Amino acid sequence: MGRLLAVLAFLAISQAAAAVEAGGAAPVLDMPRLDQPAASVALAGLRGKVVYVDFWASWCVPCRLSMPALEALYREHRDQGFVVVGVNKDVSADDAKRFMGKVGVTFPLVSDLGDAAARGFDVKAMPSGYLVDRKGIVRKVHRGFTGETAAELRGEIDALMKEPS
Amino acid sequence: MKRWLAAVLAASLCGCTAVAPYQRGYLARDDMAFDPSPGTARALEKTYSAKEAASGGASVGGGGCGCN
Repeated sequence: MGRLLAVLAFLAISQAAAAVEAGGAAPVLDMPRLDQPAASVALAGLRGKVVYVDFWASWCVPCRLSMPALEALYREHRDQGFVVVGVNKDVSADDAKRFMGKVGVTFPLVSDLGDAAARGFDVKAMPSGYLVDRKGIVRKVHRGFTGETAAELRGEIDALMKEPS
Repeated sequence: MKRWLAAVLAASLCGCTAVAPYQRGYLARDDMAFDPSPGTARALEKTYSAKEAASGGASVGGGGCGCN
């Protein structure tokens, strides 16, 4: 009976993943690229860069605002070691590609069909963005996206770029 | 006590579950819409209101008195 209780308690607890918040380490993830599923993007491989992991989808209305803003930030900072990783949460890759036809971006896009990345970060809202420093520590979490978020993010990226790796 | 606790834990593992925010693409599909054809539904509602000489019966408060 005691063993059964322990198993049930473990299962009940394991259903509730802990959300990644500022100060925590970014999960170790290796995600297939949206345009080339054979290739992948590993977060560990981006260590030394400032990374913004953005969860987006074609059905997410604020993503129509966030994607062009993130593209502008990426173009502005990429030569200094900043990268945006767009994690797509569409059910169909075709929906994502149609959205990208309207809002073209040049930063790497990955898919997360098994929800491993979303579960790893325990995404609470769409869009959600995790600003990761050069050491792999999440320094800021943005849930939702407005014009103010873009301005805040610019300042945060500038500050993190000045930190040593 | 232990049996009661086991029953509560087992019950917590099944039944309804919340749809995670990142899984709402399933709910955004056209065939998941409450009304799959909003244009047709609007036209039918308008016709119904005209025939019954009373509007708002479907979803909006108010009647045919023109006072809302």
